[in-house]
Parts: sequence; structure tokens; C-alpha cells
Amino acid sequence: MHSKMRKVPLLVGIAACLTIGLAACAPGGSTATSTASLGSVSKTVTKDKITLTEWDQNTDGGSDTAQKELNAAFEKKYPNITIKRVSQSFSDLKTTLKLALSGNTPPDVVQANQGYPDMGAFVKGGLLRPMDDYAKLYDWTSYYPSSLLKLNTFSSDGKTWQTGNLYGVSQTGELVGVYYNKAILDQLGVSAPKTIDDLTVDMAKAKAAGILPLNYGNLEKSPGIHLYGVVQAAVAGATAVDDLVTAKSGSWTDKDNVTAAATIQGWVDKGYINAGSSGISRDASLASFGKGGSAFYVDGTWQQQTLESDMGKTAVGFTTLTPVGASAPVTEGGEGLAWAITSKSKHADAAAAYIDFITNAKAAQTLLDTGNLPAVLPTGYSPTSGTLAADIADQYTEISKASTVVPYLDYTTSTFYDTLTSGMQNLVGGQATPEQFTQSLQTDYEAFTKDRG
Amino acid sequence: MSTRTNAAPPAGTVDARARRSRQGIAARPAGTASRRARRGRRDLKGYLYVLPAFALFAVFLGVPTLQTLQYSFYDWDGISQATSAGLSNYVGVVTDTALSSAFVHAAVLMIFYSAIPVVLALALTLIVSRAHALRGMSFFRTVLFLPQVIASVVVASIWVSIYSQNGLFNEILRAVGLGDLAKVWLGDYGTALIAIGFVGTWLNIGLCLVLFVSGVGNIQPELFEAARLDGAGPVREFFGITLPALRGQIAVALTLTVVSALKTFDLVYITTRGGPGDSTTVPAFEAYNRAFNQGQVGSAAAVAVVLTIVIIIVTALINLLQPKDVE
Amino acid sequence: MKIGIGEKFVNYVILSIFALFAIIPLIGVLFSSVLPPAKNDGGFHVPTTFAFGNYAAAWTQGRFGTYMFSSILVTVSVVVLTVLLSVLAGFAFARLDFPGSNIIFFVLLAGLMLPAEAFIIPLYFNLRGAGLTNTYASLILPQTAQSLAFGVFWMRNQFRTFPSDVIEAARLDGASDLRLLWQIIVPPTTPSIMTMCVLVSMWTWNEFLTPLIMITDDSKRTAPLGLAFFQGAHLTSYSLLSAAGVIVALPIVILYFLLQKRFINGMVGGISSR
Repeated sequence: MHSKMRKVPLLVGIAACLTIGLAACAPGGSTATSTASLGSVSKTVTKDKITLTEWDQNTDGGSDTAQKELNAAFEKKYPNITIKRVSQSFSDLKTTLKLALSGNTPPDVVQANQGYPDMGAFVKGGLLRPMDDYAKLYDWTSYYPSSLLKLNTFSSDGKTWQTGNLYGVSQTGELVGVYYNKAILDQLGVSAPKTIDDLTVDMAKAKAAGILPLNYGNLEKSPGIHLYGVVQAAVAGATAVDDLVTAKSGSWTDKDNVTAAATIQGWVDKGYINAGSSGISRDASLASFGKGGSAFYVDGTWQQQTLESDMGKTAVGFTTLTPVGASAPVTEGGEGLAWAITSKSKHADAAAAYIDFITNAKAAQTLLDTGNLPAVLPTGYSPTSGTLAADIADQYTEISKASTVVPYLDYTTSTFYDTLTSGMQNLVGGQATPEQFTQSLQTDYEAFTKDRG
Repeated sequence: MSTRTNAAPPAGTVDARARRSRQGIAARPAGTASRRARRGRRDLKGYLYVLPAFALFAVFLGVPTLQTLQYSFYDWDGISQATSAGLSNYVGVVTDTALSSAFVHAAVLMIFYSAIPVVLALALTLIVSRAHALRGMSFFRTVLFLPQVIASVVVASIWVSIYSQNGLFNEILRAVGLGDLAKVWLGDYGTALIAIGFVGTWLNIGLCLVLFVSGVGNIQPELFEAARLDGAGPVREFFGITLPALRGQIAVALTLTVVSALKTFDLVYITTRGGPGDSTTVPAFEAYNRAFNQGQVGSAAAVAVVLTIVIIIVTALINLLQPKDVE
Repeated sequence: MKIGIGEKFVNYVILSIFALFAIIPLIGVLFSSVLPPAKNDGGFHVPTTFAFGNYAAAWTQGRFGTYMFSSILVTVSVVVLTVLLSVLAGFAFARLDFPGSNIIFFVLLAGLMLPAEAFIIPLYFNLRGAGLTNTYASLILPQTAQSLAFGVFWMRNQFRTFPSDVIEAARLDGASDLRLLWQIIVPPTTPSIMTMCVLVSMWTWNEFLTPLIMITDDSKRTAPLGLAFFQGAHLTSYSLLSAAGVIVALPIVILYFLLQKRFINGMVGGISSR
């Protein structure tokens, strides 16, 4: 073997040439941008036999049923179109969508999360098709309130959110709030909390009565966003949070944001939240609340159908919290993930027809029938009072009217999802003080705003 | 749980292994194989035989490995044009606590994947040193080795339920009156990493035991008899004969287990995705997450390069244990 | 060698403890997979009634028919390619003398030490550029390349130990190298090739990272990947998850029980085989 050693220089030479060859061209830069003309659009859908692939995250009970029904109805209306559905959980969709979109055969229609981490990155890469032309064609501009449409817009370089082109429309409306077990609240002799202090007091009573106040499972990491989002909105108010997420003004280390974090940690310290939340899945904690395992549960309106079927339509209530001095409740939410068309899709007209079909007023009725909250409630919709559906619809109407819904916090920067979710696990796990938690958010935020110039 | 690369011992052991398998697996008349079996005539046809394998290897493994090195000097989001980054990605591996702690976690995992199974298995080998001759040993070997062949995704989902609130682990604690200690093991900062490490112990203890017991079986009985005639007790016997004779097996066990600890990905991806907080992030997970989720391809490549270098250094160090004096 | 009764007893006790340690988690998942879903809280329960319907439910809900097909297709392709290319290259390295053979061999061998992270990131972008992501080729070719480092090394060692006089005799009879390889050398080497096959099958079947990155199309997902996504969407359906886990693990476990000596010998590198 030793006699061969003199050939080593040769090998090194080959490797060196290869490396130099590689170094000559920087990675990337070959992606086609979608700034080319989009061509004319039409409501008339092809008569050819085609397959539309759609990716959604509607795995929760009611939304899954609705999506199946809507897809079947669409295929019935257009027998030449086959819908190929790929449905996966929110975090799995988040993990795979970037890879799928940048591949050569992306799906035609996808649900993209708003804000910088996802939609912003996709727009920047030219992966989504601007949909302003279809918005005009299908009159989405008058169907949706502008506040909702704005969340789905981006400048065409993906650098500025809430301005520029429209990249999708949402099927559902969403609010994150506090679900409560009516029987337990009756037993404690309290009514549904209206403020964060109410909630803390009620939780103390539950704890004293030997009932777990709040079921919280955060294995998936995204529930942390919602817990902090609800508390922060109720403490800091709509304007402050909105300005922060949209990078208008403010700092994550402002007093109210620290107070919100301290409030949550206080709940943990007093035993209001179950231990081990970072190892318990959201589904498991939801199921536990559904079986009467706790007085409260913080999550979004997308859990309506699951809780209705677990507990019955009138046994569970939904409430949102009003900040001190405010006239209307303020909470996190807005709309579900945006349904977008990928720029490589060969069937943009059919894709737009599909998106319209599953989001329009008729679809809204299907969504209501299956226990979901459509983005735009049909006029004259009035569910039986005392039901969970009524609670949700009332809150949604009130908050929409007052414009006091604040965006999901993970939209803030391209890395905020990870920073915030890890940070919340640290906060709840007692690994970070409220100050350290908010400082980690602020550090991420500053780096991002500096980067954007 | 095993992956391609941890299945084979480090490159330096080639010759030792070639010799072993000549006497072992390849149960053919070993004496007739000359040590340098090469034929004198130079044969350019050899290139044709090697070309398909080498081409595939170069395109799908060799060149991308060099490219990883190249990527690590750029800032790239995976979508738009890359910009030169100098050494900043490598500086980040040291200064970014999320990255440096990932390497620390990998070191902790090495204790559970490697040190504990190897030491424990050695201690057990001292007791069951003659188990290789037991009736039913092949049954035990089969069972002890079984975890190695189960897909890591399945292993991960099994242990997620074992560590859950109502899972087996807590059931056992409650059964022995330690119910107060019950918790969600993967959700607790103090225990999540250890819980993942313990899965590694579960995976690898059987592997080490099987290796060592059969290694002892290879020691010539005369050695033990001679030692006993000299009045050696079991402890002296172990340190004087068994341990030196097992050097090769220990090196293999260390290589397999240490590399599997350093490369942990599937288990973390399925069980915790790095949580709670960042308490269970590992280099392979960070590389994946940064490259494909966070759009920090350059930083991910730097992590991958450092990880690769660490693996090469560690395997080379372990390799020093290999006996060089067989034959 | 005679073993005393006391020693035997101690040996059996220790081996049994560790065998139990190895197998209880696996028995737990088997039990859980046949528990009626309503009774399954994720703990360890000995089933009293057997809900085998869990398997059918997991199979259809999790679409494991599709995933198993992908896994089989990919695994078989990787194994066949690896055997073909490794036998050819291993033969050349062991029996033919050509300039630079040692260097080429050690370059291939270096692949044994590379973790997947060392090359998967650029590999993904290269394949994406070539329009190959989300195809079976993006699973088969890289995994074959990964297996080749081991395969070539393994086959070279087997061929080097092949008796030279047999080869000489065949050459004197005028056999070409290719005929010599496939008709004289390969048949008696089949056991070693089988060892390589079972190992490559196991690595390919169990692989998670490569399909996670390369495959985005649901219908091309492999079984372990399918399981991971099934788990993401059904975190609390413990019975179905367990059944799905058993489905995914079973093919390799069966192979293992049939050919366990080859698995163990191959994985510990032939050392324990003496």
C-alpha cells in the first residue's frame, strides 16, 4: 500500500480542481421568478381531464369533513377534474411545504401560512402566483373585508408584508380564545372570564377545588404561540401588538409584553397548568379537556367541532378577553391559512376556480354545517343561543366589527416561529425568566429589521 | 436504528478485518489465498468494472460532499442568489448557543449510546463470560439484537408512548411506589435529553453484549486454564486475558455506538423536534432544520462539515484501540 | 467446557433480564396495536379482547398500501443495483491490477465514514436543479451510492480470499474475466452476497432522512415517512399508531428472524462470526 502513496498528490490535484470548479459558481440563482406576465385569466375551466393537487392542513375533525365534502362537490361540478388531496398536520405542512414548492412538481394549490416565515419566503422565491387578477374576476375584493385580504398580501420581493400583491384567500375565520367547561364553572360558582384577571381568579378557584385549571399540551410547539398570543393581546391591547407584529413600533421587551409572560409563568408556578406540557401533544390535552379534565383550554376556533362531539354542543363555552380600559375583546387570530396557487401550476384557471369554490358563500354554509367558522359569516346566520357555535360566531362578529383581532405572532420575522415556540417552552418550563423570554424575542426581531434595512 | 455508515468499522481496520473474514465468514480454504492475491498483469479493464460504482458514488456522494464545504462559505436561503459569507457560518457554530449546545447534547448522548452500554456490557461479560457455550444462547442473541433492526421511526414512536403521562415508564414508577416522580419525561427540561439517551442505551446494550460474549468465545480456553494454574482469580483473569482479547470488539462497539450518537436525527425529529426549548437539539437536526426549514443553508452546511470532521476524528481515535498485531 | 449449575443459573438470569429489557417495549407496541382504541391510553396493557381491525384501519387511513409499495420498490432497486455494482467493482479491486486502484478504493471507502448530513444538503439542491426531486430515482440513486461504500469494501474482501488456484485454472481454460466472475467466483460467494443484501435492505427500508427531504408527493412516501406523518395527524390514536408501527417494522423483522445470523454477522463486521 505504501508504494501507492506517491499517487496521493494526483488525488489531491483532482479534488482541488473540482473544488475550484465548484467555487466558481455560487449556489442558487437559477430559480425562475414569476414576474413574467401571467397571461389572461378566465372563469371558464378547461374541459380536459386534469388532476389538481391540493395541500391542506385540515386534519382536525370538522375541517377534515368539510374539505372532503367540498372536494367531492367540486369534482361533481367538474367531472373532468380530479382533486388529489394531501392533508397533513400544521407542523408537518410547515416542514414540507418549502421543499415541495421549490421542487419541480409542486402541488397546484397549497395552504400557506401568512407572515414572513412562510408566505414571505415563498413570495421572495417566486413560488406563489399573485392572485389580484383572480380576485377581481371572482370579486373576492368585495366578498372579504380588506382587513382580512391585507394579511394575505406581500410586496413582490417578499420583503414587506401587508402590502402589494394578493397571494391567497382564506377559507376560515379564526380566533384564539378560552374554551371553558360550563359544568365546572357552575360548580365553582363563576361565570365565563372577561379579563385576564377574571381568568386568573377563576383558575385559583378551580385549583382550590382540586380541579386542574388549564390543560395545556405543547409538544408540537405551535400551541405556545397561542397561549402567549391570547395573554399578550389581553394585556397589551390591539394597537400595541399589531404595531409590533407589523414592525411599526414598539419593542418585545415593553412592560406589557413582559407582564404577559410573567402572568403565564405565574400560572405555572401556582400549578394552574399541568406539568410536562412540552411533552404532551396538543391533541392529548384537547382530549383531556374534552373529557372534563380541566376547567379551561386555550386554543383556536378550529377546535369547535372536536369539542362539540366530545362534550356536546352546549356543555362547552368559548370566550375572549378584554384588556383593561378597552371596549371590545382583543385576541389573536384572523383567518386560516391562505389558499394559494403555485407559480409552476399549469392549471391556474382551474386552481382559482377550485379556491373560489371552497371559499365562497356557498362553501361557507358547508363549513358552518360541519362545525367550522367561515372567514365571512353569511348574513342572517344565527346559531341557537347557548351553543358553542353561537359563542364563537358572536365573538367573531364582535371582534371583526371592532377590528381588535391581532395577527398570529409567528408572522413577525422569518425565524420568529422557532424563536417564539422554543421561548415559550423555556418560559413555561421555568428555564427562562419573563425578561429573558421577551429579550430573546426582541433579539430576533432586531436582527430581522436590521437585515431588511 | 443502524444506518449505512455505522455498520462498518473505521477505514483503518480494513486489513484486520480482511484477515478475520478470511478465517471466518468466508469459510473457504484460507491457506490457499495468498496475501497479495493480485495478479502481475496490469489490466486496464479494471476501470470498466469500477466505473459504474465510482460514477454513482461521485455524483451522489462525492461531489455533494465537496459542495457542502463550498456552501458553508456562503449565505444562502436555498431560493435566491447566494452571497459570500467568509467564515461567519463557522464562527456561528461556536458563538450561536443554539448550535454549540447541539454539539454538547450530542456529547451527552454519546455517554448514553456508547459509554454506558459498553461499560455495562463489559461488566456483564465478566459475569457471563462463558455464556457463549450456553444452550439457548442463540435465542438470547436474537432477542438482544432485535432493537437494532427496527426502523428508528418505529422505535421513536414506541418510546414516545412509553414516556407519556400514562406510559409504561410512569406505570412502573407508580407500581413501585414512586408515583410522585411520574412525569412526561420528554417534556421536562431536566429529563428530555436523558430520556432520548436512554433509548440509545436500550438500542445498543444488546449489540455490545452480543459482540463481547461472542468475542470471549474466541479466546482460546488454554489461556484461561494457564491463568488458573497460576492462581489467577476471576478479576485478574478478566483484566489479564478477557479485556485485552476484546480490544477489537470494544473498538467496533465504540465506533458503532459513538457514530450513532453523533448522527442522531430520526429519534429527535419524531420525539421532541429539539424541544422543550432547545434542550434536545442535536447537530444533525440543526443541519436539517436550518437547511430546509429556516432557509439558512450556509449555516446548515457549516454544521454538517463540523459534524463530519468530529465523526472522522472520533472514529480515528477509537481506531487506535484496534489491535494491530493480529496474525 | 463444563459450566457449573450455579454459574449457568446466574448466566440465564442476567441474559433474561436484558432480553426482557430489549423486548418489553416491542411487546408493548404489539399489545397496544390490538387494544380496542377506546381502551388505549398509551400505557402498557395486556389485551383481553383483540381488535385486529386496528390493522385494517391503520392500513387504509394511513394509506400504508401506497407507502409499502414505495418502500418495496425502492428497497429492491437499491439492493439489486448495489449487488451488481459492488460485485463488479469489488472484483476489480480484488483481482485486477490497474493504476490507481488503491486510491480509488480508499476514496470509496471514505464514504463509510460520511454521515448523510455531509452531502444531503447540496444533493437535494442538485437533484432539484435536475428535476429529480420527488421521484423514486431521488431515493434509489443516492441510497445506492451510500450502500456502495460498504458493498464494494465487503465484496472486495470476499473476493480477495477466493482461492487463487481455482481462478488460475479457469483462466487457463480461457475464461474471460466476466465469465470467471459470474460463473466461477460469484456462485460460491452467494452467502456473503446475501449478508450484504439483508443489510442494504434494512438500511434502505428504515431510512428516514432521505425520503423526508427528497419526497414531497404523498403517493411516493416510504413506509417510515408515512408513519411519521400518520403520527403527526393522529397523535392520540394510540392503537392505530401502534398497528401502523408494527406494519412498518414487520418486513425487516421477518427478514431478521429468517436470516438473523447474516444480520448479526454483517452488522458487527464479521468479527463475532469466528
